[in-house]
Amino acid sequence: MSSHSQATPLSSPEPLGVGILGAGPVTQAIHLPSLARLRNILEVRHIMDVDAAVAEAVAARVGATHGTSMDALLGDPGVDIVAICSPHQFHADQVIAACRAGKKAVLCEKPFAMSGDEAARISAVSEETGVPIIVGAMHTFDPGWLAAEANWGDLPENVHTIRSSIILPPNARFEDFATEIITRPAGGTPDYSDVEVIKGALRGGIMGLAIHDLPLVRRFAPDFEDIEVLQARHVRPFGYVISLRAGDRTIELRAAMNKTWKPEWVFEAISDDATLRIDFTPSYVQAGSAVATITSGTGTRDTKSTTFGPFEHNGYEGEWRELAQLALGTKQPPPTESLINDLTFAIAIADATVDEAAAEFAGARQ
Amino acid sequence: MSNQYTVTATPQAESSGSVALAVASLPATFGPVAAGEAARISALDGAPGWAAEAIKAIDAGASGIVVVNPVPENTAALRDAAEASGTAVVLDRRWASNPGLAGAEEAVRTVAGRATMLDTVATAAAGTDPQRLLTDHLAAVVRVTGELNAIRVVRRGAHGYTVCARLANGAPVSLQGVLSDARRPGVDFRLYTDDGGVSIAVPEPFAAWPAEVRATGPQGELLLPTLYESAHRTTWRRLKEHLDAGTHPSDLARFARLTESIAILS
Repeated sequence: MSSHSQATPLSSPEPLGVGILGAGPVTQAIHLPSLARLRNILEVRHIMDVDAAVAEAVAARVGATHGTSMDALLGDPGVDIVAICSPHQFHADQVIAACRAGKKAVLCEKPFAMSGDEAARISAVSEETGVPIIVGAMHTFDPGWLAAEANWGDLPENVHTIRSSIILPPNARFEDFATEIITRPAGGTPDYSDVEVIKGALRGGIMGLAIHDLPLVRRFAPDFEDIEVLQARHVRPFGYVISLRAGDRTIELRAAMNKTWKPEWVFEAISDDATLRIDFTPSYVQAGSAVATITSGTGTRDTKSTTFGPFEHNGYEGEWRELAQLALGTKQPPPTESLINDLTFAIAIADATVDEAAAEFAGARQ
Repeated sequence: MSNQYTVTATPQAESSGSVALAVASLPATFGPVAAGEAARISALDGAPGWAAEAIKAIDAGASGIVVVNPVPENTAALRDAAEASGTAVVLDRRWASNPGLAGAEEAVRTVAGRATMLDTVATAAAGTDPQRLLTDHLAAVVRVTGELNAIRVVRRGAHGYTVCARLANGAPVSLQGVLSDARRPGVDFRLYTDDGGVSIAVPEPFAAWPAEVRATGPQGELLLPTLYESAHRTTWRRLKEHLDAGTHPSDLARFARLTESIAILS
């Protein structure tokens, strides 16, 4: 396959204006570097953060207006697209406010809500206002994934096993390759003898890490509403071992964040006679797209593989390219039902995981 | 040659254990038995009833026995018979006999106290008996990690299984079996620690494909020396060493522990 980007060429008489709510490490190390590669189509014009000094410092890097007021950003006529990069609990209200402000498109970092009720409110407002929303599940915009999707044929109907394995160093390792970070959240020393700490870590693992790949998993699990968590174990210091069933599909989720320098981020979908394997690049660094390999076989010694990628940009840049197309009206937005289904799938897994882990914790103590 | 051990193999053992090839690769030690003569070494397939067949071979005067891919069964009587006769019984395990696992065992032992998770996946062709796959898988895992704690089946079905356990330090272990014709058969181990870990890829014994053992730490990653010797040949070389030294292999004792674990999971 070609190693050239598959992105659709974009054209706009002048760049679209971007406003960002929340100027923490994700904005600094992911979005601003991605937008720096797209200056011909997108321009950062307004940065908001509750910390005025952070907002000012980050905005100064891109020559944008800054402030601590969401209303001021939403009222800025130079802002066409709003990116919501604030803490999870603010996402739903901010997405709704951005839609009501009549913006051209909204990017909400994952998760775009923390409950089904919030998701339904967002959906209603999106429909009412017609403002397109996308969620920052960057792997769904990765050219490697998209190339695989265009070529996997009937694999989703035949898959019996799905695996997502994520091994990463602390975020700071890759943030520091991407930018010069100002302000990082303080770390703590968790008490692993407290079941609430374990439950919190697992929920955070699902809603903060696994959620990157759960939309991919759901593509291969049509009966995603029929889930059963079979095991859920916490991995120290941060990670999980989760086995679940969705309909007749087996899903295995693994993650470990430790001090390693060696990232591994692999998604696999397996049927009796075909497999898809995708090796994703780490977040933060501009290391190009994932590499996807589709293998088909009719016997252990008779297999054929096709590889797609690496392409030149990653899923984060893919998100921004998509947002620009949505804002220009040159592409149809994803159905909000799909975003809601992704969210409810993640919440259902998180809830069941926490319950299973609590039961195991209690059993281990007896 | 007077110091050569003559070999006979059942057709099933020949097929599953590539006995002729392994014997031909150790020509100073082993050779085919002449027609009408009793062989000193018997190679048997590990299908159900193999322990009784091995006792028969001991009764017929075998000095050594190779059992290819044995299924779990009670070996107490066989152990007694082997000890009484001084017969060396070695087991040729699909993956656990790969010579690369000796280095892997050492690499894992070095970091085991700091392990945070072991994730291992075994792959076999679609249609394979999942229980047979699990036996081969678990044999390879315990060869490297030692005994596992709190082992239990999470799920099993026509397409594979998931088994969970804990390492000695409490770190979670997951053994997953996957049946597919589109994945290369073999076992993949990933032991993670706080700052790296050990990865092991064990191929099928059909050819002298080497296992790949990589130790990852703060200084980088080390690929252990690759050993281009099949699990079958390694087993026969081990038998030769025991015969030459007059020592008794520990294969049956270790197999008894594996059989106990498999019984718990059945």
